[in-house]
Amino acid sequence: MRTEGLGPRFVRRWIGATAEGVRDQRDFLTQLDAAIGDADHGVNMDRGFTAAVAKLEETPEGMPGELLETVGSTLVLSVGGAAGPLYGSALRQMGRAFGDVEIFNEEALLAGLREALEEIHRLGAATVGDKTIVDAFSPAIDAFARGLRSGEARESAGARARTAAEEGMRSTLPMQARKGRASYLGARSVGHQDPGATSTAILFAALERAISHGELG
Amino acid sequence: MIQSVRRAAAILRELGSGQRRLGVTELSERLGLAKATVYGLLRALEADELVQRDAETGKYRLGPILLQLGNAFLDSHELRARSLLWADSLADRTEQAVRVGVPMGSNVLIVHHVFRPDASVQILEVGAAIPWHACALGKATAAFQDDGELEQMLGGPLPRLTGRTIVEPPELKEALKRIRHEGVAVEDQEAIIGEAEIAAPVFDHLGDAVGAVGAVGVVGPVERLLVDGLARPELAAAVREVARGLSRDMAGGRVYARGR
Repeated sequence: MRTEGLGPRFVRRWIGATAEGVRDQRDFLTQLDAAIGDADHGVNMDRGFTAAVAKLEETPEGMPGELLETVGSTLVLSVGGAAGPLYGSALRQMGRAFGDVEIFNEEALLAGLREALEEIHRLGAATVGDKTIVDAFSPAIDAFARGLRSGEARESAGARARTAAEEGMRSTLPMQARKGRASYLGARSVGHQDPGATSTAILFAALERAISHGELG
Repeated sequence: MIQSVRRAAAILRELGSGQRRLGVTELSERLGLAKATVYGLLRALEADELVQRDAETGKYRLGPILLQLGNAFLDSHELRARSLLWADSLADRTEQAVRVGVPMGSNVLIVHHVFRPDASVQILEVGAAIPWHACALGKATAAFQDDGELEQMLGGPLPRLTGRTIVEPPELKEALKRIRHEGVAVEDQEAIIGEAEIAAPVFDHLGDAVGAVGAVGVVGPVERLLVDGLARPELAAAVREVARGLSRDMAGGRVYARGR
């Protein structure tokens, strides 16, 4: 078990890995969205995270909280549809939760993730089962918390979170959407995995990678 | 006889919601009917091409003739027919997507949709049913319903679609009062995060005494439609103008049909 804390480099690794994951799955995300949304989720998310990574590269200094707020604001501005405001505000809120500390532990990361989910809930009013981001986000946080509570290293807690996010993502397949455009297009959403839950699974896969990195901070 | 029509309708509805391929057993369980009854109904529906049987799985799904019937419904819809040119010109002028909706219980049924005239991929929403309180089309229509009708709508389900959906009847009533005064309804991310709508009611020859027959409006990214939660004045003006023109057409059409 490692003892060094998480810091600005963790944020950069996390957002970088998310950008990579989104790029790899861009067409898949767009394809999922074509069935029930506006067919732009992959393109939008790719544009947004690419812009966020570029913004981080222009910002060599900065505390983790500031960096996340920068990422959040970039996403709000550059991602269209509901995804920009949702992911952007969530990460911004998470950044605010970190305040101006440079190094934080996994408990603080958990608290930050909870703030992010709370913001998503405030904006979207979605709960588990509505076929949204929340279906992956909420179980991922719970799994991360369970891992930490049982004294696991953050790597394995991160792996649990990723697995739970992926399970949550798959659980949206048979659901009928109760939020978003898909909700009033009615039955069309059944049998399609939710694009938002899918991008959230990418976010948590990236979190696992970023958290397990050997590099300090 | 009438019972079998109702049961056949229930089968069609079941096939049209959720899982779209169902077997006789699944349908009989869902509807609480004997398998033989369901089978007989399906055979009759299949003979009229209202359902199709998949040869491989033996399961049933909706038949292609329903598309023709749906189109026939749209073609015969007076507000839709009269709105086609108006909607095109509104989309051109505002560079936004345009929707036309009519009240249907606690929802607004979208009967016409013109895409935003840009290169973006959009999904056709004709046939979508949107909770009335969560869209400007619904609020514009509701603002001119009579009190009894309105109470019923306020007493019905008011689901929260986003954190901004207005779900409290007193607050909705207050909003409707403003809409009556301003002649235009605004929705600010109450149905979908990041999207807004500006709509105005359409009346026929009976005027606003009997309520609006529907509404027309522009819908799109919130930053393009609203400023600080209020409709951009030029968009509100364009929507109002088109709703007025369409109302004039609706009224004229009826008078003409009476043999003027």
